Amino acid sequence: MSLVGIIANPASGKDIRRLVAYGSVFDNQEKIRIVRRILLGLQAAGIQRIAYMPDYHGIVERALDGLQVDMEAERLQFDTKADQRDSIKAAHLLSQKGAGCIVTLGGDGTNRVVAKGAGRVPILPLSTGTNNVFPYMIEGTVAGLAAGLIATGKVSRKEGTFQSTRLEVVIEGEVVDIALVDAVVSTDVFIGSRAIWKMDKIRQVFLNRTSPASIGFSSIGGMLRSIAAQEPVSMYLKIGNNGRPVTAPIAPGIIETVSVKDVQLMADWESVDIHFAPSVVALDGEREVEIKKGQEAAIRLSVNGPLVVDVEGTMTFAMKREIFAPATSIS
Amino acid sequence: MDLTNEQLIKMYTTMVKIRTFENRVAELFAGGKIPGFVHLYVGEEAVATGVCANLTDKDYITSTHRGHGHLIAKGGDIKLMMAELFGKKTGYCKGKGGSMHIADLDLGIMGANGIVGGGPPLASGAALACQYLGNDSVAVCFFGDGASNQGTTHEAMNLASCWKLPVVFVNENNMYGISSCTRDSMCVPNVADRAAGYDIPGVVVDGNDVVAVCEAAAEGINRARQGKGPSLIECKTYRHRGHFEGDPCAYRDDAELEEWKEKDPIPRLEKKLLEMELLTESKVEEIKGALQKDLAAAEQFAEESPFPDVSVLTEDVYT
Repeated sequence: MSLVGIIANPASGKDIRRLVAYGSVFDNQEKIRIVRRILLGLQAAGIQRIAYMPDYHGIVERALDGLQVDMEAERLQFDTKADQRDSIKAAHLLSQKGAGCIVTLGGDGTNRVVAKGAGRVPILPLSTGTNNVFPYMIEGTVAGLAAGLIATGKVSRKEGTFQSTRLEVVIEGEVVDIALVDAVVSTDVFIGSRAIWKMDKIRQVFLNRTSPASIGFSSIGGMLRSIAAQEPVSMYLKIGNNGRPVTAPIAPGIIETVSVKDVQLMADWESVDIHFAPSVVALDGEREVEIKKGQEAAIRLSVNGPLVVDVEGTMTFAMKREIFAPATSIS
Repeated sequence: MDLTNEQLIKMYTTMVKIRTFENRVAELFAGGKIPGFVHLYVGEEAVATGVCANLTDKDYITSTHRGHGHLIAKGGDIKLMMAELFGKKTGYCKGKGGSMHIADLDLGIMGANGIVGGGPPLASGAALACQYLGNDSVAVCFFGDGASNQGTTHEAMNLASCWKLPVVFVNENNMYGISSCTRDSMCVPNVADRAAGYDIPGVVVDGNDVVAVCEAAAEGINRARQGKGPSLIECKTYRHRGHFEGDPCAYRDDAELEEWKEKDPIPRLEKKLLEMELLTESKVEEIKGALQKDLAAAEQFAEESPFPDVSVLTEDVYT
């Protein structure tokens, strides 16, 4: 029986960017309603078994409460920590259990940690965070249908998923963390409130997805060149005075003009040194990694990112196969 | 946020000062020197310290039943605090209020408060005064997760938003209202989630990281000073000791406490400042030694001060 995992981050959409930018407060009631729609979509696609990350608020339990779905639901058993370790652990357990797809609710940050534990299980990321370049802004019902089609194999992984690239943070030769969208080097010395929004401290920007229509640091590169999620290329921007002025929406509601001194494209496995120590590297919008004085560090592009469900592609295959519209003898 | 070396060391010193004070109060209470109840702030020092680092004496705070940390961080005099805890005439409330009523209006400290949820209306009132007077002062309301469920808190936030008052609501979510876990007493996992209902920004920060608290508070306070209205900052934290001294804490397990002790805000900052070479081991000892000396002087002052006379029993009583 095909298994679909659900990881709904109860903490996404709550960080300081509600104060320093104009990010939405994404309440958990809305996440519950989205999960309900995902479950109904999964059921329609033939899924009878789900497993989900336990969380303090009980998002999935509350979604299931009162919902008429014929589905076996397993709460993953582990000691929760109410931080990002829960998402990594849940993804890892779902991978071990042979899940055919993991649906995530969160922003870029949530998906970054899920990708660290998901292995080769395709992720279908739904946006409920702040900066949302990696996840889709799509209806939960459709997400449920697409996830079900992939997990059941009605649409194969080859047809309905793609492999994303990732950026690796390498310190003293060891990969210590990853980013799915952007890695930003700041002269901050504290991780503090995690979010990063002050351009005057930013010195180096690495982007593996760019689009002029995206939000966050990705949009800076996007004003210069687009990079698709699966394209084995990333962009390195050196930030400094007297460079090329690039105006972009670096955070929700914040449009800044950034001085770009240099632009460089990076190929798979190519790395660029981090030139500042001590410094802090923000990954997908959140300060995460401290580079200590004297440490050698670099950012490297890898094509070994997570498998991601292409919702549009998957639903198009479903249409071509007449999965939801079987032909009858009556014309 | 650009914090100077002096600011970082000052925040470290303030947190250690609070911890030193509270640990000694625990000993004195156990020894029968302090009458009434005390609710200690051990483990939560980063919240008061990080917030008050952004305030001046012209700004106001309202505190809670767990108020010693707020008072010290806002500049309260530990001699007068200790004398008050001892019930002595030289204390902040002439020895008649005890731990839960300490106030210092010259420093903008509007008082600890024994009423859960008593602070938010006072803070909104102080903020209304600031707005009316047209100065750039702000009010900060410290309140707990238990108070977040009180009607007074909701009323205060609603009116503050309607009138765009210069107030920042700082929630200290230590997961327990007396013995009730927030899991059982709150319908949402984050107090900050409620901000949407008042049309104000609501954020969650690591309340055991003084820099994170300081950054968030700076943004909320600057926003208030600029006339942009209130905000809600929820600081996730934990009290190392019971709700009150003597509480056996049967409602929580040791593993949970140990996990939070690993996130203790003081060693976290100390380690970082040592790495940054802003502190040395000898400087740490020097700071702690000086604080112990000040505390001993405060204790001696309290010990040697007289109790209030029975004749003043009905003075300073308001109905």
